[in-house]
Amino acid sequence: MVSLSSYLFISFALFVSGLAVMIARKNIIAILLGIELILNSAALNFAAYTRFVNQNLDGHLMSLFIIVIAAAEAAVGLAIVIRFFQIKETIHIDDATQLQA
Amino acid sequence: MFENILFLSSAVLALSGALGVVFTKNLMHACVLLLATLFGVSGLYAVIGADFLAAAQLVIYAGGVIILMLFAVMLTGGAANNENKFGIDKVAAMGSVKTYIYAGLTVLVMSFTILKILANYMKTFEQGELAPFESTVEKIGTLLVTDHVLAFEISSILLLGALVGAAAIARPRRG
Repeated sequence: MVSLSSYLFISFALFVSGLAVMIARKNIIAILLGIELILNSAALNFAAYTRFVNQNLDGHLMSLFIIVIAAAEAAVGLAIVIRFFQIKETIHIDDATQLQA
Repeated sequence: MFENILFLSSAVLALSGALGVVFTKNLMHACVLLLATLFGVSGLYAVIGADFLAAAQLVIYAGGVIILMLFAVMLTGGAANNENKFGIDKVAAMGSVKTYIYAGLTVLVMSFTILKILANYMKTFEQGELAPFESTVEKIGTLLVTDHVLAFEISSILLLGALVGAAAIARPRRG
């Protein structure tokens, strides 16, 4: 039951749902949630291949760096969202149409 | 036996949380369901012996990112106008039937691409017997300051930049 294919299936399902969230939602924070799902699926793939295929720990380190990058991305992304909300009073993605405030 | 139970419960938690994030209509609920998914993924890490990753996932995601998301949801809640500046009705913020249809089509195309086309080029072979579990913390620590020291230092600079940048961006302008 605990096999490479089951892990790849779970990771694929997470990726697909993240993709669906990113396309279906029009709320910027919800789109960021979808990005988190996709990054998680990538990190899970690295860990699964480490366990079942080559068994050195480089995959774990890659997952770790993915987690770090996801944290940094969430911080900056949410800062941009809050700044956008201060200017436009909305977080609808269709209102983000101009570069200059 | 115990492994299978942990694997199954974690997988169910992760997948149901992901489905909930896709289909719920409430942004706060979506954040909490994403938390369930992250807990599930952490359990999945634990099943394949990635103890340090499981702990890092819990600390950074559950303790950091989701809290940040919830704060952002609370700070940006409230007044929602349903018309854009031309007076045309906007698509509902959490998606309408049309956007879900677009998402479903994209998912179909993506699944076909991955499962039928790309999968043929990504064959790998599984190792027959798996190594017994052992703690990975010491090895990860050694690898971080020997083989991967450049990535380690770059990620420290990245985190510093993200910290300063986030503070600088979110700060209200004077005057």
